[in-house]
Amino acid sequence: MEEKKLGLGSVIATGVGLIVATSCLLSLGQGTSMIGVTIVISMLIAFSLNVLTALSISELNALMSDLTGGLAQYTLACMGPFVTVIAMVGGYIVCNTIVGSAECAMFGNTLKSVFPQVGIPGSVYCIVLLILLIIVNLKGVDMFAKIQNIVAYGLILSLVIMGVMGCLKLGTGTTVTQPAVISSKFKDITSLCGLAFFLFIGCEYIVPISSKVKNARRNIPLGMVLSLAIVMVMQTILVFGFKNYTLWSDLGASATPHVLYGTLLLGNVGTMWMAIVSILAVTSSINTIIASLAYICEGMAKINLLPSIFMKKNKKGAPYVGILVIGGSMIIINATGLSTTSQLSLLILTGCVFWMITYIIAHMNVLILRKRLPKAPRTFKVPFGSVLPIIGIIGIVWMIYNISADSAMRLKIYEVTGITFTILAVYSIIWIKYVMKIKLFKPLSVKEVMAMENDLYYINHQKAYKIKADKNKATVM
Amino acid sequence: MTLSKVEIITSMAKVVALQESFGRFGITGMTVTQVMGCGVQLGRQEYEDEKSKKHKMPKLLAKQIVMIVLPTEDVSKFLEFVKKELYTGHIGDGKIFISPVDNVVRARTGEEGLEALVEGEL
Repeated sequence: MEEKKLGLGSVIATGVGLIVATSCLLSLGQGTSMIGVTIVISMLIAFSLNVLTALSISELNALMSDLTGGLAQYTLACMGPFVTVIAMVGGYIVCNTIVGSAECAMFGNTLKSVFPQVGIPGSVYCIVLLILLIIVNLKGVDMFAKIQNIVAYGLILSLVIMGVMGCLKLGTGTTVTQPAVISSKFKDITSLCGLAFFLFIGCEYIVPISSKVKNARRNIPLGMVLSLAIVMVMQTILVFGFKNYTLWSDLGASATPHVLYGTLLLGNVGTMWMAIVSILAVTSSINTIIASLAYICEGMAKINLLPSIFMKKNKKGAPYVGILVIGGSMIIINATGLSTTSQLSLLILTGCVFWMITYIIAHMNVLILRKRLPKAPRTFKVPFGSVLPIIGIIGIVWMIYNISADSAMRLKIYEVTGITFTILAVYSIIWIKYVMKIKLFKPLSVKEVMAMENDLYYINHQKAYKIKADKNKATVM
Repeated sequence: MTLSKVEIITSMAKVVALQESFGRFGITGMTVTQVMGCGVQLGRQEYEDEKSKKHKMPKLLAKQIVMIVLPTEDVSKFLEFVKKELYTGHIGDGKIFISPVDNVVRARTGEEGLEALVEGEL
């Protein structure tokens, strides 16, 4: 029997590790500079909707547990391969690779701004970091868990300490006097909900590691919700810290608002500290992205949605093809300088919309399985019947509508999303009809999807197809 | 008070889990039998192709039957627990059979019904 290695601490670390990232700190700074501390209300709305998503994902995990592909496998059993390919390839793999690359670029820019005298381009920092993380992930899950814990707890502690210092005005820098609230209009608060949503996305990355988690029935849902709650508290503290030490206008104008805050709070010490926090944040999130996406790719390959090469593992049990492809793509994106263009913010928000669509699908999966398997025992069930998943769906649709306060930007995001979906739809149709040779919208049975998790499933079914093909050939001859 | 018999067919690993948790339902005894058998899958592994004619003859797998007798009023609560405990979502999680028990007799004392199941003074 496989040893369960990860406890609740590691589960929370994985969740917080991806949720908190440099780009989140950037978004937090920008959002706060627009309306002041009332951003906390936007955050609270986004937090609540993300908790609903976490609950839905926990129910899906309880019903179809220990699946490495997570949402891909749930969706395959609920809506069939077409939606699965589009949602998972677009909503997860492509989107996360881009967001991760952007994250890396922000890390490079932060280091470049902290050490301008060194003269090393930001992309060099990014590539070195990516290579290191690829090697670490190739070492297998033990190393992943160790790094994740150290990095996530270090990050949480640093942000909480600096946030509390700012709140209590304990910094060595000069405090500023400014109104705490710039706007308390409902419209202004809701227009930032999309941005605030970005501060919390990613807790579902816990799902692919559920097979390695001790007492997963309790630790997976609890870990997800606690990760979100920790992030909510941590970022709220930071918002009040910003208010005491950074002028709203400076905060909004800065490309690295977290470093600005550190500098104004503690001088050079604060600058260095925030640089370290950035390193921790990026290391944590990129590490989680590479590891989890590689597992998701493995899971998708198991159910034939991606080529079988993604199932290959090295001696340490790491799905090395996925790790190399995801990590390598990020290196290429950073090396070509794409990460440094102004289009990145647009891409992040577009990625956010993809992510939201995936969350809508997660809620829909819960409703479909409730109807299809009403009597199946669930060790975790979202309370109040279908009410919470439906609220989740409506809330996320509303967030997509409010993804940006700028209507031109919003239209651009919808346009990019539409084009990407179209490309993915074409890929999906070709792959499903001509490679998988199954119906586009016919869901697979839950038992079939569960069986696909077994490595022998693929070997066995390949054999079956081969026998069938050989017989056909013999008949023709 | 009426009694019911619950027979659970499952794997050895699940028997240990059930054994550890039975105390909380006030169960006074259990009987575990090692058996061979198959269900609708005819002993085929879940990863095997359903259309494959590799196993025409049913393949018998090693399983355990856990037999428990308990008051009928406790059965539904007990079943909820057992279903969750057995559940993995994979084929082979097991089956649960519930049937009425006409009577139980403790041979040593002649006690009948629930009295024969609980620890008596005689």
